[in-house]
Amino acid sequence: MNAHDEDRLKELLQQALPPVEAAPEPGRDLWPAVLRRLDASPAATPLRFWAWFDGALLAGLAVFAAFLPASIPVFLYYL
Amino acid sequence: MNTHPYLRAYLAGVFVPTLVLPLLLIVFIVVRIVLQVPVPIERGMIFPMAVVPSLFGLWNMLYMCSHPHTHLPIGLHGAILPLIMAPVGALVATCLHVLAFGAHGVTWFQAAYVPYMLIAPCFLAALAGYYLVWKYIVGSLNRVLGIA
Repeated sequence: MNAHDEDRLKELLQQALPPVEAAPEPGRDLWPAVLRRLDASPAATPLRFWAWFDGALLAGLAVFAAFLPASIPVFLYYL
Repeated sequence: MNTHPYLRAYLAGVFVPTLVLPLLLIVFIVVRIVLQVPVPIERGMIFPMAVVPSLFGLWNMLYMCSHPHTHLPIGLHGAILPLIMAPVGALVATCLHVLAFGAHGVTWFQAAYVPYMLIAPCFLAALAGYYLVWKYIVGSLNRVLGIA
């Protein structure tokens, strides 16, 4: 392929493909809105609830074992 | 990672009891050999050494098999296991004279006395413990092994 063919190919490609226009940018920063939507998503609340619930369960288990140490060998027996 | 999923489920299930076993052995050595306390721990170790790991592994295999149909969270699936293990363990312990039923409570290992009124809270605590173990340890292992 010589230089003439390359120029011809370039010309044909430029004719075939429309020029890419510059993408219009939003007038404001959208990232804070994305963060707000993530915070307000319905999945976030149950996850937080279950984390608290599991933490409370763990704390309850520790308190239970502290008040009834005789239960510790029984728990070990079942693990 | 799609080969032998049930084997991987079994191995993920036996992980926790396998970690607890050395602790039991340490307790056994300290109590029976070092301190020479006359408590029949060795008889009580048969159930956690022989039955519990297998049950955990089989239960995790059952979870893998049943989850596409039931969609039960793994924590709740694990919390069901004490319903089976509690009577089986009590039966084995009674046969091995590790568990004795008295007038007002039960005595484990001839030393740990639990009144009858505290058996229900103990059982609920076991449910909670199993729920947490299965949700956070077995569940994460299942994800690591690519079977969750």
